[in-house]
Amino acid sequence: MLGVMSACAPPKLTGTLVYARGGESDQLDPIHVDTGESVKVIINVFDTLVTYADDSTELVPCLAESWDTSDDGLIWTFHLRDGVSFHDDTALDSEAVVVSIERLIVPDHPLVFDSVIPYAPDFSVIESVRAVDRLTVEFHLREPSAVFLANLAMFCASIVSPTALESQGRGFSTAPVGTGPFRMEHWVRDQQLVLKAFDAHWRGRPQLDRLVFVPVRESAVRGQQLQRGEAHFADDLPPAELDKLAAHPEIEVQEVPGMNVGYLAMNADRPPLDDRRVRQAVWHMIDKQRLIDVAYAGQAAPAINPLPRTMPAWHDGLVDRAFDVEEAQGLFREAQQDLGFSAPLELELFVMATPRPYMQQPQETAAFLKESLRPLGIELRIVTSETTLHFKRLSGGEHQLALAGWSTDNADPDNFLYALLDPDNINDHGGNNVCRYRNQTVHELLIEAKRTIDADKRIELYREAQELIFADAPMVPLVHTKVRVAHRKELRGYQLHPTGLTWMRAAHIEDGQP
Amino acid sequence: MIAFIARRAVLALLTTFVAFAAAFVAIRALPNNPVLARFGQHAVPEQVVAKMDELGWDRPVWRQFIDFLVDVAATGDLGESFFYPERVVDGLARTFPATVELTLAALLIAVPLGIVAGVAAAVWHNRWPDYLCMAGALVGVSVPVFFLGILLMVAFQNMPTGGRLPLAMSYDRSTEFIVLESLLRGRWDVAAAALRHLCLPALALSSIPTAVVARVARSSMLDVLGADYVRTARAKGSAPQRVVFRHALPNASIPIANIAGLQLGQLLSGAVLTESVFNWPGMGTYLVAAVQRSDYNVVQGGVLLVAIVFVTLNLALDVLYVLLDPRLRHAPGAQ
Repeated sequence: MLGVMSACAPPKLTGTLVYARGGESDQLDPIHVDTGESVKVIINVFDTLVTYADDSTELVPCLAESWDTSDDGLIWTFHLRDGVSFHDDTALDSEAVVVSIERLIVPDHPLVFDSVIPYAPDFSVIESVRAVDRLTVEFHLREPSAVFLANLAMFCASIVSPTALESQGRGFSTAPVGTGPFRMEHWVRDQQLVLKAFDAHWRGRPQLDRLVFVPVRESAVRGQQLQRGEAHFADDLPPAELDKLAAHPEIEVQEVPGMNVGYLAMNADRPPLDDRRVRQAVWHMIDKQRLIDVAYAGQAAPAINPLPRTMPAWHDGLVDRAFDVEEAQGLFREAQQDLGFSAPLELELFVMATPRPYMQQPQETAAFLKESLRPLGIELRIVTSETTLHFKRLSGGEHQLALAGWSTDNADPDNFLYALLDPDNINDHGGNNVCRYRNQTVHELLIEAKRTIDADKRIELYREAQELIFADAPMVPLVHTKVRVAHRKELRGYQLHPTGLTWMRAAHIEDGQP
Repeated sequence: MIAFIARRAVLALLTTFVAFAAAFVAIRALPNNPVLARFGQHAVPEQVVAKMDELGWDRPVWRQFIDFLVDVAATGDLGESFFYPERVVDGLARTFPATVELTLAALLIAVPLGIVAGVAAAVWHNRWPDYLCMAGALVGVSVPVFFLGILLMVAFQNMPTGGRLPLAMSYDRSTEFIVLESLLRGRWDVAAAALRHLCLPALALSSIPTAVVARVARSSMLDVLGADYVRTARAKGSAPQRVVFRHALPNASIPIANIAGLQLGQLLSGAVLTESVFNWPGMGTYLVAAVQRSDYNVVQGGVLLVAIVFVTLNLALDVLYVLLDPRLRHAPGAQ
């Protein structure tokens, strides 16, 4: 029976890109989501006022053709592109922009149908936004902000169709309407999400007719589908699978250095980790290159500080603490004599149950750290929790040591240093300063950098902060992982963006191939 | 008979309620916080507190349970997923049919194959068919479905690797019983495609039930074949196949029906691994994802449905025993 049925091959698809991914999107209203599976659809359906250049994180015009800033940096005026229309034929105007942004900042906005807005704090610097004329929008800020523009490039600041919001209400989150290169066609949850080319896109119609997202939970099966030509594109593949696919004649693997960091958090509220000599000793015990070979299949770069190396603000003058057992033991013994804690020191290491992009093999990493710290006289007990629970416990400061990490939201240094190491972000409800690091000077530098528009001056502030953070060693930065995707060679014109985001507007499928 | 069924039905209702209440409490006892899960790594403290209050999830569990019952009584609805805008009833209507079709297909392979193998093993007891079938059964229960699934994909390169229909086939339907509905509508092309997609997952899923049925069939056939009346039948000169199929098999069928019924119940509550390998949009994936992030309403609705399936099956099995076994039919309690 199998033989007979195998004879009828599936119909060929032309102009359709099948994107095999590890999970399903929850919903597609840009302001309500935090998961990558939603973001990769949203960025293809919506446009933002500004966006990144094709091959860098430089901010370039998108729906806004140009913009100017008042001298005090408090008023930003954006001039919109004329003749842009939404998928529902509504014309893009300043009112649409006002609605899209006000949804993020105005409490109980009539066009918001769910109270979960994860990125709201990133926009709280906006005091008001108003339409000056049909194509001019004015933003009034509470204080000068250097990250304001970068935040407008984030998916959550996508410009949405107000008419669609009004007519669909909550239904908008499953039938989103934007100005992007692809429009929603249909979505059967857990089976397929189909986007169709938007003929009237302002950049011109994309070359693909359809973009189909298919959730395929097993990464090995995603690999199989790619090899067979059932899928053209696959992401979230483990390093071993990617190495295998890279050797396949019909498949290409693309990679960029990821804008992320995986680190070992050391809770400064839990003695003796409040002593920086202890933290520095831990740092000296970790052979990062070997960790990368063991737990990342060699596909990562060692981290010296939380900032990814590809950011202009990255401090190139810092030299990593060498893997040096004697140095570590010296520091540790010194601290031990002063503080009088007993050896061996027993500490708990909290570990997430499922891999994260920056922590691809949490269990292997934890085992490696356990072995690494034993010669110092630190005995680790590994405590594994399901991932959301893990981060909840970290925010609450329940841990002593913990595996943690971060991927960029807006490609700005503030999004790493302020988010992960500022005392403002210590709280029980999801605060991300899980090292519970409190340094007043660093805090002042980070706040000043937030407000400094001048790029060079800003970089200076971040360099100073990085030096202080490096000396204090609140965390051991471990790795920056690569972002890698695999696609069939007949998929042309696709370039993986440095942010790791997967825009498909320039992709097309070469004819004459399966 | 009617009193018997009525008594069982009342018991079934009670069981369902207890199972539901247990699930309601258990999912809230997990240290997870679904509101924090919604925010991922971008939690906003004030929003989290406000949302917990809005949903009433910071109240004592007994209070939440009463609130929920009142709510259900008022609206007649099981609520919505917390993570995406879909009613639980719709979610179950979307995933349960996929599970039903996969389960039935798997059991259509497993039960006949298991019985044949078990009977053969019993008839040729301690000879090569016995060894062969039992070795096969051992492999069947021990090979991980994940591995078997990938193996099948590699072996049948032309068969689809996942999903229920080819991606290019868009087919408007009113239910997710794709095979059944397309057959009823006379859409043979859709039915053929859907059946084709069903083959490998059903084959993979059937491995364990086949083995289980085969083992039970074998041992219960061995019992019966050793009984006096079978020896008598043989002594009277009945043909061997008549002895096996007319005299022995009907009497060995109760344990087989029992185990097949239990397997049915188990598979209907979702086959997570098979679904995950073959990207089958069934109830297992739906419920496991819900448990992992404490999507309360989905877990409750799912447990309710699974409980109903189980008690209904049990009820049906009880009735079936009575039909299969004349002794029960004439027992005083059954009247």
